[in-house]
Amino acid sequence: MTLAPDVAGRLAIPSLIDEATVEAIAGEAWIALVGEDEVLVPLPGDLPEDTLSAWVDVVGPWTGSVVLTTGRQTAAELTRALLAEAAPELLDHEDVADAFGEIANVVGGNVKAALPGPSTLGLPEVGPAPAVRNPEDVCRIEVLWRGQPLVVSVQGALPSLPVPHDQHQHPHQNGASQ
Amino acid sequence: MRALVIDDSRAMRRIVSSALEGFGYETRQAGHGREALDVLQEGYAPDLCTIDWNMPVMDGLQFVSAVRANPAWRALTLMMVTSESEQGQIVRALAAGAHEYVIKPFTADALRDKLALLGMLPEEAVL
Repeated sequence: MTLAPDVAGRLAIPSLIDEATVEAIAGEAWIALVGEDEVLVPLPGDLPEDTLSAWVDVVGPWTGSVVLTTGRQTAAELTRALLAEAAPELLDHEDVADAFGEIANVVGGNVKAALPGPSTLGLPEVGPAPAVRNPEDVCRIEVLWRGQPLVVSVQGALPSLPVPHDQHQHPHQNGASQ
Repeated sequence: MRALVIDDSRAMRRIVSSALEGFGYETRQAGHGREALDVLQEGYAPDLCTIDWNMPVMDGLQFVSAVRANPAWRALTLMMVTSESEQGQIVRALAAGAHEYVIKPFTADALRDKLALLGMLPEEAVL
């Protein structure tokens, strides 16, 4: 894989990992954690309005977050599948945050291993998804689990760089300051 | 045989405990390294500790180092069970005194194979 840094020498995620790798990592995590028959289908779907995200931060040569987003109801179903017979009759937010966060931790840890290192992995966080800072520094997959949409986004923490002005666009191009 | 399962995720503690109990272990759980040290200091004497790496309060590597610094716990088998899968991290954990390293996600069979390699499968699970 060719590493193509931007003008500031920063590596953007599309040059480090591709969608197929992220999909394979997520699929393996699902089968091992959620169940042998729990397949992620690589098809897009419309996320509901009420979503929940879980993510871990990666800090290293590439810095950003690995974010899983799905509907709040799907996150609860995921928690029940993960906890199986140990799932309480009534799930509280802490149950869902713990289980969904752990899935993000496992996916994030394996994404980190596929990136140039050494890097450190943060503890899982759960809540509204962190904003995409730089649309050029995102690797995003959309899948369906039990027919419900889920998005995995590997997204950089740094904002995009300002577009460099060439000579013709320079505000002083007409010698106004001279 | 007895195992202490150390992970900050309750869901993951349940998954690891369930697998170990399936092999014949009795298990206890701790949510981070400091809590696990407290359990050991209270006199609980497991044969095996499974240890997550990234945890609040005291992480897995600090726990391994603390256990290895105490001669009273020399016989304890330490197995990292973590999503930290960089080669450098594995080397660090083994150098600190962990005996084995299991990368999440794992299957119960993979855990069983690692325990067999360590000679840590209870007899009923070997048969």
